[in-house]
Amino acid sequence: MDYSLLFIVLFLVGFGMVMVFSSSSYEANLELGDSTSYLRQQLFASILGLVAMIVVSNIPYHFWERFAMLAYVGSIVLILLIIPFGHTSGGATRWLYIAGVSLQVAEVAKLGMIVFLANLICKMGKGIQSNKGFMIVLALAGVVAALIYLITNNLSSAIIVMAIAILMLFVSCPDYKRFFMMGFIVLVLAAAMIFYVVQSAEAHVDDLDFRGARILAWLDPEAYASDTGFQTLQALYAIGSGGVLGKGLGQSMQKRGFLPEAQNDMIFSIICEELGLFGGIAVIVMFLLLIWRLMIIANNAPDLYGALLVVGVMGHIAVQVILNIAVVTNTIPNTGISLPFISYGGSSVMFLLIEIGLVLSVAKGIRLKDL
Amino acid sequence: MDGRMTHKTYHRNKTVTIFFLCSLVLLALAGRLLYLMVFQSEYYTQKARELHERERSIKAARGRIIDANGKILADNKTVCTVSVIHSQITDADEVVEVLSKELDLSEEYVRKRVEKYSSIEKIRSNVDKAIGDDIRAKGLDGVKVDEDYKRYYPYDSLASKALGFTGGDNQGIIGLEVVYEEYLKGEPGTILTVTDAKGVEQAEEGEERVEPISGRDLYISLDINIQSYATQLAKQAMETKEADRVSILVMNPQNGEILAMVDVPEFDLNNPYTLPSGMDASAFSEEKRQELLNAMWRNGCINDTYEPGSTFKIVTAAAGLESGAVKTTDTFNCPGFIMVEDRKIRCHKAGGHGTENFVQGTMNSCNPVFITVGQRIGVERYYSYFRQFGLLDKTGIDLPGEAGTIMHKMENIGPVELATISFGQSFQITPIQLATTAASIVNGGRRITPHFAVRAVLADGTDSQFFTYPVRHNVVSDETSATMRYILEQVVAEGSGKNGAVEGYRVGGKTATSQTLPRGSGKYIASFLGFAPADNPQVLALAIIHNPQGTYYGGQIAAPVVKQLFENILPYLEEKSYNRT
Repeated sequence: MDYSLLFIVLFLVGFGMVMVFSSSSYEANLELGDSTSYLRQQLFASILGLVAMIVVSNIPYHFWERFAMLAYVGSIVLILLIIPFGHTSGGATRWLYIAGVSLQVAEVAKLGMIVFLANLICKMGKGIQSNKGFMIVLALAGVVAALIYLITNNLSSAIIVMAIAILMLFVSCPDYKRFFMMGFIVLVLAAAMIFYVVQSAEAHVDDLDFRGARILAWLDPEAYASDTGFQTLQALYAIGSGGVLGKGLGQSMQKRGFLPEAQNDMIFSIICEELGLFGGIAVIVMFLLLIWRLMIIANNAPDLYGALLVVGVMGHIAVQVILNIAVVTNTIPNTGISLPFISYGGSSVMFLLIEIGLVLSVAKGIRLKDL
Repeated sequence: MDGRMTHKTYHRNKTVTIFFLCSLVLLALAGRLLYLMVFQSEYYTQKARELHERERSIKAARGRIIDANGKILADNKTVCTVSVIHSQITDADEVVEVLSKELDLSEEYVRKRVEKYSSIEKIRSNVDKAIGDDIRAKGLDGVKVDEDYKRYYPYDSLASKALGFTGGDNQGIIGLEVVYEEYLKGEPGTILTVTDAKGVEQAEEGEERVEPISGRDLYISLDINIQSYATQLAKQAMETKEADRVSILVMNPQNGEILAMVDVPEFDLNNPYTLPSGMDASAFSEEKRQELLNAMWRNGCINDTYEPGSTFKIVTAAAGLESGAVKTTDTFNCPGFIMVEDRKIRCHKAGGHGTENFVQGTMNSCNPVFITVGQRIGVERYYSYFRQFGLLDKTGIDLPGEAGTIMHKMENIGPVELATISFGQSFQITPIQLATTAASIVNGGRRITPHFAVRAVLADGTDSQFFTYPVRHNVVSDETSATMRYILEQVVAEGSGKNGAVEGYRVGGKTATSQTLPRGSGKYIASFLGFAPADNPQVLALAIIHNPQGTYYGGQIAAPVVKQLFENILPYLEEKSYNRT
């Protein structure tokens, strides 16, 4: 058992619970008459996730190879099931109800993509280095990402699924050139998109969709304070007013109705408000430690399959943390994305813990002298 | 290895690359965090505070108005505002029961407010302090009793038109209350509280208080004793003569301090919006009601003008003497009328006064004498004296809405106008203007500014600010002033004003009886202007009776009013000045 990883993860889950309670209790008490309402649901999902993690960590990871295809097809089927059976919350249809438990299918798809690609890449052998193999992997991931984006209208999850695939490809191919090019193309597209939106706004084109509006709000949140920029601006108030040392745990003002659903995607801003710059940096350092630990495990994995599983998990967590903090600090346009282990959300924490279970299983195969 | 790829070095290198890339990005985000939380912190903290803080103001106690004897004419009464704070209520039923009982409101009304989710809900304002204290003593959670000030006038209607009253926000509406608003109102304080997004106060965040600064107390020259007595006399005259209105002005002619300003009927300052008794407010439209209220609040001493009649002969005499157009020894002959151009202007004595000198002419209030004097002065000189005496300007009294003099333009004054002006007709001035001008003529020629306010003092009694008023010297010479005092003393001693004489005192004065416009309406204004002691005037009084029934001669009905006033206040003023020195 890799106790360093376990400790880091348990710490993050525990800290997340404290912050979910701190950020949700005021509103929960007013709206639901029970300040622990969100905490209890998070606790339940976390316990479930920890049990699943322990179970998974005790299963040799090669056991999952045979389910690679099932993981891929299953993800797609689950996403498609959203169309007839999807549950809507907060204006987005992203959940399936299974036996009374709501499940965010995108979380399943992220895990599915890791399990599927690790196997596929290993099976393809040197074929992955050819352009054909490269494109096949991208295309297969692209299908899932596109479905997530089109059906659940969840751009951030789609981005994460693609990012997981690209990072796993990156590790399995010896070259850098294609990845530089991809990175370059993404940057150019992003710049073109921003340029287009700004031009349209200046030309008073009113039919910008909400993503266009979010780009404008990103560039100048105070100009859109009452609508698109509202959440971002409230998060900035929370972060900025935290200062170096913060207002103290539980002392956030912004969670008292100013920042809506403070326990969700914007929880990092409440951490900053209550625990200050030190708290915010400590959380970043904690995630950095986690990623470092995942890298160590990946690089000492007994085989490539194990390494790729860990790289997938590492990419998932790293990309999600980076995107979340970037959104909360208004470094990139607002897109709904949660902070791993800390944000409120049962599916997210449960599937992340299952992923950690996979990593722990891989770590078990490492002989002590390798570390 | 059953078809699997082996774990190669480049895989490891690339994993390390990913880690360093992520580290770099996270480092950049940490930098962004540093920027937001250190360098932008002040900006966002300020913004957030503006978002979280609600400001409640604390009213400042309005300054009191205090008379010459230290009696409080306008005070503050503590009243309570009872409110409920939804989030702090623990026993809603009890709150509803207690509040509806104590405040005499329906349970339904109170319950609606108690159950409303809001930061603070006002149940009732202007609650008696005793009731407010009772409610507070019950210690109900979520019930807030805030103290507030309400203006209170201990003497109800006394000097109502001069003092004025305040409105809902304790701001002056009319009278001294509005003129000295800046001194009286003080500086409101604030309570800054922190609230959540819905406005619910966050008690644990505490509050920041800026204490209010009470307004300055205004000490005025008005003397409650003189004012009360003058009011009593005015009411008496109004009743016995069935008059429309009676005004009495009492001032110190040496410095312009007003000792009393009466204009009955007055109104109740504690209920300024209640129409005079006998008028049913519901019978009038909103507009009409406001009109009636405005009429009720109107201060006849300064807001309205009238034809002064014979009291204005003081001005004509002073101008005549000052210009040298007439001397006391000049003799005149009154046949009972005088021809001006082709018009015959009658004297009030049908048979005429016969031969008389100027002093006797004044004692008789003989119109032909004054018309002659007016003619001798001439339009231009006469007009320049008006200007010199200050008759054409406002007096500058510290009350709002002073009316100006309505006088012919100089180029429009023909012989007939000149003649009528000489004995106080065909133009209009305010009572305060007449009193002030007469005071300036008999006080040695100093044009004083009539006023009430003497000083404004901080609530703790420190820092007196004394008011100063303009004085214009030499509007008439000492000699003319002395002559005028002598002549006017003769008027009261042996002439038409003898009903104004007070035993044991030297009183000077002049009577007037003027018919109101239109002529022939049978309506008159009777007045008397008196001052004492005649050789060194310390007090000057002007009594004006509007539309008296029966006898309407100023000498017969207005002079006795001033006589009674003087009989009472002259000994009183002597005693006061004796005590002061």
